[in-house]
Amino acid sequence: MDETVAEYIRRTVLKIPRDEIKMMLQKWGFLSEAQLQTLNFHQLKDNISQEVVQLCEENSADIKQAAVLDIIYNHIYQNKRMWSVYHMRKTGEELEYFDLTDFRKKFKRRLQSALKNVTVTFQEYEDNAIWIRVAWGTPHRQPNQYKPSYVVYHPQTPYVFVSASVLKSNLPLLCQALIVASNYHDIREMELRGHSLNSLKDIVFNRYSHNFQTYCPKPQQASTVEPESADLRIINENRGEKERIQRLNQEGFGDGPQPILQFAQYKLETMFKSRPEMDVLDKKEPFRCLVKFSSPHLLESLKSLVPAGMADAPLSPLLTCIPQKARNYFRIRDKKGLPPESFVSP
Amino acid sequence: QGSEDPQRTALLLRKAWTLYSVTPLYRFGRGRLRDYARLLGAFIAAERQKGLAVEVGVELDIKVALSSLPELRGSEQDQPAVLVQLSSRSRASPKNSEDKILWSGCFCCVCGDDLSENMPEDFTCLPLFLANGAECYMSVVGNWFQQTFDCVFRRLAISPFNLSWMVAMWTGCKVDKAASAVELVFSVPCLPQPLDISYAIHPEDAKALWDIIQKTPGEITQEEVDVFMDCLYSHFHRHFKIRLSATKLVKVSTAIASAHCDGIVKMLHSQYLSGVLMLLTELAISQIQ
Repeated sequence: MDETVAEYIRRTVLKIPRDEIKMMLQKWGFLSEAQLQTLNFHQLKDNISQEVVQLCEENSADIKQAAVLDIIYNHIYQNKRMWSVYHMRKTGEELEYFDLTDFRKKFKRRLQSALKNVTVTFQEYEDNAIWIRVAWGTPHRQPNQYKPSYVVYHPQTPYVFVSASVLKSNLPLLCQALIVASNYHDIREMELRGHSLNSLKDIVFNRYSHNFQTYCPKPQQASTVEPESADLRIINENRGEKERIQRLNQEGFGDGPQPILQFAQYKLETMFKSRPEMDVLDKKEPFRCLVKFSSPHLLESLKSLVPAGMADAPLSPLLTCIPQKARNYFRIRDKKGLPPESFVSP
Repeated sequence: QGSEDPQRTALLLRKAWTLYSVTPLYRFGRGRLRDYARLLGAFIAAERQKGLAVEVGVELDIKVALSSLPELRGSEQDQPAVLVQLSSRSRASPKNSEDKILWSGCFCCVCGDDLSENMPEDFTCLPLFLANGAECYMSVVGNWFQQTFDCVFRRLAISPFNLSWMVAMWTGCKVDKAASAVELVFSVPCLPQPLDISYAIHPEDAKALWDIIQKTPGEITQEEVDVFMDCLYSHFHRHFKIRLSATKLVKVSTAIASAHCDGIVKMLHSQYLSGVLMLLTELAISQIQ
């Protein structure tokens, strides 16, 4: 077995948390159940990985098999990576039958003809997702297995999710290979990025709950305003206002669970307008700002600003449009010829 | 007047310094810096034997150096700054190896007349302390100074009120080349899901706004700072309907310096170094008094 392969397997196993190693090796299926029985999972991880490498040596593992183990790890820990979303377009409306073998062949061939040295690995999953791992080399250098790119493609959709490695120069080639293999003619990056792959899918596949007012499975009562006190003499004098605010807030984001995003970024190129009582800046040039919101669960966080009293209800459409527009990067300019309160996002 | 030694003061630039206020030191002898270095070195070695002040990966002897930085002061009344450096030296060091600096601390006083004015002779006023490096060293160095000179170190936090002053003041400073953005960072921790908001303004636009608000050059009033912040808040509110004034301002950043509410500062521009230190000295003195 090649030394570089051995080292790669060793390092991949080291990344795995100790109590998940057995499960992942089983999923991998490269080592037999009998071989797995010989492993002692209660020793130092360093030693576990050495033993795994020895077993792989017995089975003469090559880089192709090692790459599969890497995909399995990244599939389980997909949220550790940052994913970008790409959208592909076709000229005609023909619904072509998707041939996986054909796709794989064309994809691999496109990359190999350009770079000669690439490691391309495919793995299919139950939710119709095809995972592709690409380790990049050059005509003169072996692929760097430690900085691969991952692509997730659902064949019946025009969307591709990419977690590129640091080697961004390979992105154009990757995009080309994707459209060639999938018979699309165009691909562009969307302004949508995040760690939660499933949430990104929810957004582009429209799988989250929208703010539909007509369909409402829950009864129309305000559910989170505090219950009346036991003493009837005590009333919540703002109850009406609180209910109104909650209703408006729900209209913004909808009732159900929100897709998980980690940030939203707005490049503001709008005019600075002073308040009437302040005789300040009324310039002709835009007031250039960059605003970035971050949170472990951004949309839920923004939604909670209104009841917390930190934002007006309804929340700004610049924020509530994030899932509908399937983007979290925006460039905001004033709409020409319209009152300054309206913004346009190109 | 000490000659401007850009090398020496440059070591304060572009490092993240944790701020402390220090009460006046009793019977601190400026001529005894070498002795103090030796005593502190022995103290550190003893503490390390006990298992304290141990940083993972550092096995070697620790060397202590104390020096004066006379160029770091505001006026003749100020005490010159004192620099403390801990470096690691290999027991069998090859001739061409350099000592690695593990930790630095700097006592300083820039325009600290408010404190030093009526101070009895036995006391040395160096109310501001800057620390850079592992916390375990700060702990042991702080203990030694507190025991030896009967002083008290306290972490210096920076309130949103003071952060607003800093961002307004530093936005107005003139910088020749393309400066970095004026950034304000807000935190809303008490939500079910915490939220951070970064609001960065193009430095030219921020400065243009400040220049219109500031009436007298060289002078800044509370009202001007309030108007400046209000303008930024209302521009933000116009777009996002969020009231930034209800959130917590935790960090401000400009081309001159950046400051975090936990009392961590980075100074970026040599020309304005003493201006920033003067402001921080003032904060330290308020905490002491």
